[in-house]
Amino acid sequence: MTDGRSNQAAAQLVLARADALRGNLADDFRDDLVEATYDEAQAIAERAVRQVRAPRWNLDLAVDRLVTSRIFGLPLMLVLLAAVFWLTVAGANYPSALLMKVLFAVEAWGSALFESWSIPWWITGFIWHGVFRAVAWVVGVMLPPMAIFFPCFTILEDLGYLPRVAFNMDWLFRKAGAHGKQSLTMSMGFGCNAAGIIACRVIDSPRERLIAILTNNFVPCNGRFPTLILLASIFVAARFSPGLASFAAAGTVVGVVLIGVFFTLIVSAALSRTVLKGEASAFTLELPPYRRPDILRVLYTSLIDRTVFVLARAVAVAAPAGAVIWILGNVTADGVPLARHVADFFDPLGRTIGLDGVILLAYVIAIPANEIVVPTMLMVYMGGKIMTEDVTGTSLESLLVDDNGWTMLTAVNLMLFSLLHNPCATTILTMWKETRSYRWTALGALLPLVIAFAVTFTVAEFARLFGAG
Amino acid sequence: MANCSSCPDHADCGPPELDTRGFDGVVALAGNPNTGKSTVFNALTGLRQHTGNWPGKTVTRAEGGFKFKNRRYKLVDLPGTYSLLSTSQDEEIARDFILFGQPDCTIVVTDATCLERNLNLVLQVLEISDRVVVCVNLIDEAKRKGIAIDASALSDDLGVPVVATAARAWKGLKELTQTVVDLIDGKIKTAPKRAFGDGAFQDAVTELIPLIDEVAPDLPNARWVAMRLLDGDHRVRQALQSGDLARLAARTRGPIEQASPLIALGGTQ
Amino acid sequence: MLAPVAQLGSTLVTLAIVIASALALVFGGRVARWWGGMREAGRRVLAEDALKHIHNAGLRGNPATPDSLAGALGLSPHRTVNLIARLEAGGWLKSSAEGLSLTSEGSQWAVQVIRAHRLWERYLVDEARMPLERVHAEAERREHHRTADAVDALEASLGFPRIDPHGDPIPTARGELAELRALAITEWPEKTPGRIVHLEDEPPAIFARIAAARLVPGQTLVVEESTPERLVISVEGRTLVLPPIAGANVFVTPVEAPERRALPTPLTTLGVGQSAKVRGLDESLRGYTRRRLLDLGLTPGAVIKAEMAGIFADPVAYRVRGSLIALRREQARHVLIDPVAHGKASDG
Repeated sequence: MTDGRSNQAAAQLVLARADALRGNLADDFRDDLVEATYDEAQAIAERAVRQVRAPRWNLDLAVDRLVTSRIFGLPLMLVLLAAVFWLTVAGANYPSALLMKVLFAVEAWGSALFESWSIPWWITGFIWHGVFRAVAWVVGVMLPPMAIFFPCFTILEDLGYLPRVAFNMDWLFRKAGAHGKQSLTMSMGFGCNAAGIIACRVIDSPRERLIAILTNNFVPCNGRFPTLILLASIFVAARFSPGLASFAAAGTVVGVVLIGVFFTLIVSAALSRTVLKGEASAFTLELPPYRRPDILRVLYTSLIDRTVFVLARAVAVAAPAGAVIWILGNVTADGVPLARHVADFFDPLGRTIGLDGVILLAYVIAIPANEIVVPTMLMVYMGGKIMTEDVTGTSLESLLVDDNGWTMLTAVNLMLFSLLHNPCATTILTMWKETRSYRWTALGALLPLVIAFAVTFTVAEFARLFGAG
Repeated sequence: MANCSSCPDHADCGPPELDTRGFDGVVALAGNPNTGKSTVFNALTGLRQHTGNWPGKTVTRAEGGFKFKNRRYKLVDLPGTYSLLSTSQDEEIARDFILFGQPDCTIVVTDATCLERNLNLVLQVLEISDRVVVCVNLIDEAKRKGIAIDASALSDDLGVPVVATAARAWKGLKELTQTVVDLIDGKIKTAPKRAFGDGAFQDAVTELIPLIDEVAPDLPNARWVAMRLLDGDHRVRQALQSGDLARLAARTRGPIEQASPLIALGGTQ
Repeated sequence: MLAPVAQLGSTLVTLAIVIASALALVFGGRVARWWGGMREAGRRVLAEDALKHIHNAGLRGNPATPDSLAGALGLSPHRTVNLIARLEAGGWLKSSAEGLSLTSEGSQWAVQVIRAHRLWERYLVDEARMPLERVHAEAERREHHRTADAVDALEASLGFPRIDPHGDPIPTARGELAELRALAITEWPEKTPGRIVHLEDEPPAIFARIAAARLVPGQTLVVEESTPERLVISVEGRTLVLPPIAGANVFVTPVEAPERRALPTPLTTLGVGQSAKVRGLDESLRGYTRRRLLDLGLTPGAVIKAEMAGIFADPVAYRVRGSLIALRREQARHVLIDPVAHGKASDG
């Protein structure tokens, strides 16, 4: 530190000399350097690597030719997507119901225990019917699908299939002024939009990364799947025979996802032609060789890293939200629960877009995390009542359709709203962390909201025009 | 227009420090994407990974530890990169850690089925650090494809130890850790291969080295610094001006607790 | 029917008020500071544009006048007079009977603005990959409001470029500007290779024609045919016909050692299943994309093979140095390969 100043002067000297020397170098000395390094690498590799026997039939290339085939490529992709959703919907059905039954039995048992200790009703209600129920709902509804969805997805990822999807889809994304790797970040968004947005770092160009960040919300994340699956089961699958029901539900979810992909492309194209103008940047995508997935690692990353990570976050948000919902539902003003007052306030707006005030209230409360939309709606609809029966069954349908006047329009618009509406707080925060810009974060949060209102309003108007809803 | 992070003068946001308490050494894991680097990481740390790697490649810092003969080493998984010429955030993170984080050893994981491309990165890492072990992974896959790798020839050419592994089948890992520890203990001496570029460029580099030596004596990679200065690498210029490079040189193998605040990992986190 | 509408209206108004006050709370301070800063910044932009105009007029040999300044900046005579008075009082310029001229401080400032402008153009083309014909306007906007340090950092991050994308030299931090000696290709002898060193970017309509032909500084071209009606040139394996009025704005210098090999062709000519040797990356590919392709091993001499196309035919996956890399057509056409003899396709 003593000779700090003289050192700094010496440093300046070095830099000046370097600048002067650079002036004498050939224009493309950087290219030459990379070339020289590669030449060296090639020479070393030639000495160390020997092809001892001719490679056998190239399975990779055969699979690649099929996967990227003009005839089979796209159908194969859709079939795989549908298969993953079907596995998730069908496989999660039974464990979900069972888990719910157990958890609600625990709630009944716990509240009964509290009552027997003559603890005041509001403490019992707050803890068991508020906090615990919201947590139980989130765990019951989310854990089984995630435990199926994430491993399936990680297998496709480990196998090397996802880069092929990016490869195939790039043309569409290029037309939208975006990057093919956006399909990777979208796939990640199925798990969690915040994770999808972090994943956008794989896109090197700032402009295209920003487009991917701003549109990631249009793929429904795990927190929104329960809403979609629930609606698909009640309003679509119920019209099919039990054998086909799960296929119908999966088909509906795939349909919603495709609408999401459509909006992603449209919004990407709009952004890249307005605020994010610019030329398509470097597209270099490595297609790694197919590899047998490492099952241990798949289970570990998908269950511990992803499932537990997302679930823990959901539970952390659900607990306080449960408390808020319970207070809104049980504190009364003029003899009516607060929740009703707020819902009534939102009701005209909700009706205009084919929903109702309770749904909008649920979405306001669910800003921290989308997972709690359905429990909030149900709790407000039920008022003080306690439902301990099978929540995915017919009692739910009668609660929504008979008691609260839901129609096909409500279902369709709720699916659309769930798909398109503003991202959750974690996602918004992640957007800010990744862009470090209030403007882009605000755009990323508000643009989907505006689109959601516009689309649901249009659908509702058309439905009314044709006499439905 | 483009967001602020696209601006070339956008400053990095406060990098977190590497917590090395309770460890006897720091080992970095570098490599091309898709070389099974994460598998090596998980195999070495026994799945004691802290953060999830969401998108098929490491975007957040992954750290873990491994034990060898009663000593504990911290293993830092760097983002997978093709090069270290600082053209993307990933490459900057990896480069900065190898340069400023001064790991006691850097393992470069390579793909045996595509060694030539991977050696490009190895040669670049060798320019920065002489404490390098090359891990030729996926040796089982190479065998299936009829490819044989002569590890000792490779080691002679590169001037650093080379270990063949098949991390997914848990093969060669013990040898890898043994080699890493031997290198840290100084039982293995290295003489990394360094010499590229044409005449004029080499002359310029040779002229700069003694000047750099004056500012930052005993820098193990003055050659590399000279190359980066000629290339106009902003980060290295800054490090030279601010005295960070000189401090790095002064601190050769000091206690790790004083790890430089320059350890810039985790991107914008 | 009226009641729900009124209710909806009040809901929306309430929501709007809540959102507006939240935004005001968060961003209020910023807006105030921004507004205050705008006025000051506007004066600086005006001053810098004026200095640049006077500087350029001086270079062209006919000094700027208050009239030409008013015309260039689109100012009223009154505001122009105020501006000149302000700059003269600041010691930046002198006005005389011949017109306006810069003091040495004034020309230093002007050169620094030009330096920032040309560096930004370089950045916009190389890193932001903006089309060449759009960068001038964007750089015009960005050249102001930057400290000298920030401009130096920009220069370093771009790897100390010597010329801007049009071929104009970029002044150094000390304000030194290299001289340019070149001939327009309309005056260039036929069949002699020349290296493009400068493209005149004014007027924009003619420059757009040059940009559309994908001519960039650094390329080597040969004039095949030069008549007052038309100009035929070959560059990087392409043959182009240019109107001479566009050719007059393309400047070349002699090439030291003309290459005597067969002309390369773009990678896009490689059919699926065919292999070829990489000759190099074309000159118009700069910045990040160039570095990335080099890093992936697309260096001269590397063997490249087209393995397969995506379901929409673009991108195409190429095998290079053992790995499979997908490139868009847009990138592949910047990669030059040795010409492929047809019929030599080998599969597997």
